[in-house]
Amino acid sequence: MMIKIQRDDFNSEKEINNIKKLYSNVGAVTSFIGYVRDYNNNNKVRSINLEVYEKMAYKQFEKIIKEANLKWSLIDCLIIHRYGKLDVNSKIVLVTCFSEHRKDSFESCNFIMNYLKKDAPFWKNEFYDKKNEWLINSN
Amino acid sequence: MKIKYFAWIKDLTSNEEEELDCNKINNLEELKIFIISKYPDLKKHLDKEILRFAVNQEYISENIELSAKDEIAVFPPVSGG
Repeated sequence: MMIKIQRDDFNSEKEINNIKKLYSNVGAVTSFIGYVRDYNNNNKVRSINLEVYEKMAYKQFEKIIKEANLKWSLIDCLIIHRYGKLDVNSKIVLVTCFSEHRKDSFESCNFIMNYLKKDAPFWKNEFYDKKNEWLINSN
Repeated sequence: MKIKYFAWIKDLTSNEEEELDCNKINNLEELKIFIISKYPDLKKHLDKEILRFAVNQEYISENIELSAKDEIAVFPPVSGG
């Protein structure tokens, strides 16, 4: 598994290919990419600031990937989550699951994202024109 | 023991991190009593079960024993992804 928690942007295709090239038995790759939207809570978004409890995030990501491996037949898994100040259109997160067949990669990717939205220790502080607001994930 | 605060909880404590005297705090319930006496603004959030607690980077909801080497984190509901 590959877990990266970083301030910097990343090249999704390059990150995915770096793992894909290790395995000739991978037949299915499913990715989710989350971006900063320009509109939320009836306000025009300028940027977000993402705070992280890094040590816990690594530990929790490892745990959830291990759990996904028990439920689905996975060859590898990649999570990249950014933190810090992110402008509109910036990537926030990439989750990619590699398997032989599509069912395993689709379902495990969704499972990991659902966990991540619910429990991963990151907090978004969203900045509008004249105010800012801490967000809570609804699902 | 070390206690860390995150997101808007950190704004209420005006403190990111502190060392606590573990002779006075033996378990998570005692820690909760300590933090609301030191930071009264946290009480309503604790009462509404908004605060999350992690001990050594694992979510904890039951009243577990704490020791000097533990790292405790107090934070609001998450919003990653």
